[in-house]
Amino acid sequence: MSDDAARGLDALAAAPPPLAPGLSALLEAELGKLAPVATRRPLRQLAILVGVSLVYGAALLGMLTMRQDLAELPMAWLAAAGVAWLFGFLLPAYLALVPQPGTLTPRWPWAAAAAVGSSVAFVVLGRLAHPTGASSLTYGWERFPHGHSCLELGLATAVVPVVAGALFLRGALPVGSRWIAACLGAAGGCLGGLVLHLHCRITDWPHVALIHGSVVGVSAALAAALAPRATDRVLERQ
Amino acid sequence: MAEPKELMARYCDGDAHAFRELYAAVAPRLLGYLMKMARSRALAEDLLQQTFLKVHNARAAYIRGADPVPWIYSIAHRTFIDEARRSKRAIVQSAGDDVPEVAAAITGESVDRADEPRADPELTAAALAALGELPDAQREAVVLTKLDGKSVAEAAAIAGTTVGAMKVRAHRGYEALRKALGRPGAKGAAA
Repeated sequence: MSDDAARGLDALAAAPPPLAPGLSALLEAELGKLAPVATRRPLRQLAILVGVSLVYGAALLGMLTMRQDLAELPMAWLAAAGVAWLFGFLLPAYLALVPQPGTLTPRWPWAAAAAVGSSVAFVVLGRLAHPTGASSLTYGWERFPHGHSCLELGLATAVVPVVAGALFLRGALPVGSRWIAACLGAAGGCLGGLVLHLHCRITDWPHVALIHGSVVGVSAALAAALAPRATDRVLERQ
Repeated sequence: MAEPKELMARYCDGDAHAFRELYAAVAPRLLGYLMKMARSRALAEDLLQQTFLKVHNARAAYIRGADPVPWIYSIAHRTFIDEARRSKRAIVQSAGDDVPEVAAAITGESVDRADEPRADPELTAAALAALGELPDAQREAVVLTKLDGKSVAEAAAIAGTTVGAMKVRAHRGYEALRKALGRPGAKGAAA
């Protein structure tokens, strides 16, 4: 850097901060009626979100039916895929809600990576592993569009964690709110994927990979488009 | 004076005096940041008030024990960006018009601060003018990392970008400033 540039920046850096004006009339009025507020407790919010979402997912499964080919499928695959969907729900939910200790804003780069990573991973996993049983159904490409109800069910499952997360994060995200919302959507989509994993007996790869797997990405995209309207409202111009 | 996180906690408990203390502690630095970004004292003061109003409205999002200052800076950053998008009036149409006024405010000439050390007004004005020629993102990177003493990671968190992107912006900003301030007559141009 040239001497002039360095000295110019040093001069600016060395200058004392300007005197700030007094509080505006609006702020004074707000302070006049100041009331205590309950501050955010991220781990408690995470526990509530996870608990409510799991109860909701279980209720949906209760209203629907467990897959009829459950006993015919490899137990190791059933358990591993179930754990993967559950992990896909818990990790993004944690990243979206819980910031590093001592900070206020969740780690949006990690949340973004979780949203993108889980959106891709479950499509790939669905393509690689989709065992079938005697009672399983196969739609194939011919009846692929008929599987849309699974996408709808997955997205309906995702609504609760996304809405709960958006309510908890109101005002907490001056930056990175779209990525955090996408991460919440991915978490909800993974919960939807878990419900589908235990409910749907269609086992051909286009259905498992492109419908069950894409619930995560579609949910993330929808949440990124819609949830910031709730999280950012208090940070918009008054 | 108490730490910002203690003041913020007391403010969330309903202590209006703690908010005033927090404002007194944070507002001057934040106003300096906003003046360097907006290049207009009047606009910066308006953005400062908007920022603290948003802090007030969003105070329930505070997590006890956390440092509120980076969060407040992020809200100021967002308020500036929203304003710049909404109306390019001060940032583009009258770019540079307020540089002497802003420089004077920063160096303390326009207010009664004779007891405080002053920076070289001519050099400050030249640097501020050169800073004003930078794109918003590069200007913010230089202001946060070089002038406000934030680390690259802190600056990235405030601006909502990655550490790598912030490093690139700061480097490009420094390079552009070096060229601008190295020009013959650069110092006289802003005065």
